[in-house]
Amino acid sequence: MAEIEITSADFEKFREFFYRKTGIQFEPSKRYFVDKRLVERIEATQTQNFRNYFTTLRFEASGEELQNLTNIMTVNETYFFREEYQFECLVNSILPDVVSRKGDNGPIRIWAVPSSSGEEPYSIAMYLLEFWAGINQWDVEIISSDIDTEVLAKARAGLYSDRSVQHLPLRLLQKYFKSTGDGHQISQDLRDAVDFTRVNLADRGTTRDYRDFDVVFCRNLLIYFDDISRRGAAETIYDALKPEGFVCLGHSESMSRFSSLYKVRKFDEARVYQRPADSK
Amino acid sequence: MAFVKVAARDTQQDTANPRALEYDALELQLHDESADVRRWAARDLVDCPSASRMLVGRLHEEGDASVREVILTALTIRGDDIAMTGLVECLRSEHVSLRNEAVEAMKQLPEKMAPIIRELLGDPDPDVRIFAVNILESLRHPEVESWLISVIETDPELNVCATAVDLLGEVGSPAARLPLHRIKERYADVPYIQFAAEVALSRLGGE
Amino acid sequence: MKRILIVDDAGTVRMYHRKILESAGFAVEEAVNGIEAIEKSLQRAFDLYIVDVNMPKLDGYGFLRELREQKLAQVPAIMVSTEAESADQSQAYAAGANAYLIKPVKPDELKSLVKLLIGEPR
Repeated sequence: MAEIEITSADFEKFREFFYRKTGIQFEPSKRYFVDKRLVERIEATQTQNFRNYFTTLRFEASGEELQNLTNIMTVNETYFFREEYQFECLVNSILPDVVSRKGDNGPIRIWAVPSSSGEEPYSIAMYLLEFWAGINQWDVEIISSDIDTEVLAKARAGLYSDRSVQHLPLRLLQKYFKSTGDGHQISQDLRDAVDFTRVNLADRGTTRDYRDFDVVFCRNLLIYFDDISRRGAAETIYDALKPEGFVCLGHSESMSRFSSLYKVRKFDEARVYQRPADSK
Repeated sequence: MAFVKVAARDTQQDTANPRALEYDALELQLHDESADVRRWAARDLVDCPSASRMLVGRLHEEGDASVREVILTALTIRGDDIAMTGLVECLRSEHVSLRNEAVEAMKQLPEKMAPIIRELLGDPDPDVRIFAVNILESLRHPEVESWLISVIETDPELNVCATAVDLLGEVGSPAARLPLHRIKERYADVPYIQFAAEVALSRLGGE
Repeated sequence: MKRILIVDDAGTVRMYHRKILESAGFAVEEAVNGIEAIEKSLQRAFDLYIVDVNMPKLDGYGFLRELREQKLAQVPAIMVSTEAESADQSQAYAAGANAYLIKPVKPDELKSLVKLLIGEPR
């Protein structure tokens, strides 16, 4: 096969398009990184050259290729304490804000979607136990959902590889996990702390009962949706939140590409999004 | 205090969406005092056969941005003739955010836009023509490039041409080279056109 | 060095404004709509905003109103628009713009207005 060439003009054209769609902006110094992945996808899709590939990317109704490309342009792995600064933000800024406005003694409600194999909701539970004094005063309900029943079963089982737990401080690994022959089994207490449920964010039927959350984690999911699905998902999350409730997105995601429903809120540790207070 | 599970959820069974009998109630809820109720009504109406008429009717009087966003999403999902006519009307609204929201919605409906886009490109209002060019961005239609070329060759309004030049840089082929050179000559004293046409030419290839 | 945020959904327009302002010695950043512009304003301070009217998600008026109401920045903002009518201009001033330019802008016009509002680049 002839060498596939990405010209500077192609790069510029792609850079502008990808930025507009995802909010991810590649500096010219990333040219090599970007070109390499574009060539990889041009080969995989057998589109032969940049021009054909770019047309597929822009117009494919399913948005599948844009999703594939976004996948390799961003590193999407799930492991314990991934993007830890957001958990710091949760305990140091978000929950104090939630508690200060709370008018009742009911539980604080957190929804983590997608649950994937459970690393994120368990990280949240661990973080609250370890780093949030409020856990002694407040009940917390953590619900974590996914569309995929297989990963939900994995999440409930709570058995993890070395790779999943590699960023955990040793102290916490020893405290909350038990080594088994083929990995690390998370403690029964933590497994009891999280309620795993099946939800399709794109289906009103499955999300209708999800209401009154104080915080929603929805990281590294919407960036892979097509425009209309992410609008719908952003609306679903909006209705799942209490007024002034918070949404945390992944570090390479910006609500500016998904929805205009939320206010941007800057805390010391992170930028998050907030459902506005009810006007009446 | 501790972690709690308030209500065990049945994780397999979905709550039913509304049925035909409930649509009348939803129409009333679309005018409820509470924005929460109006938002849910707009979403639930999406499967109702006469939803587009109700949603379009509500769109223009709806003061809450969150409800408008949901109505526009519902109209986008429906994409029928009434929805399309309603969206086109929004392009003429005095309300800037409604205009822009409608453009976004229409970009999601390329197949539905193709038959009406020519009319919009010939609209007497230059702002509507600019929006039409913006919508072309999302259209996969064999004639997009020739429509854009015809805009830059014939549209009397500088800003409509400028928007089309911008898009030609992204979707154009070498066939656009000559028209781009011509518009550079026509607007020889407009630095922006010189700049934008150069950018577009550099991206077209085929020199 | 003084830093300017260009808020416009059209890539070529952002490139054009960037070229003019960088050649005059200013540092420039970009945003494609009002929400991204708010996000960037929370990350760092800008000395001036150049804001388009029509943008998806959050338009120019909405952006300026929010910027002013939330007191994120009281620095000058120039609104750029294709619309020449005085009603549009007064709406821009009401939203918190300090100046109004009709698109497409001329390089000298933009440069001198920027310098009038915030002085030399450093």
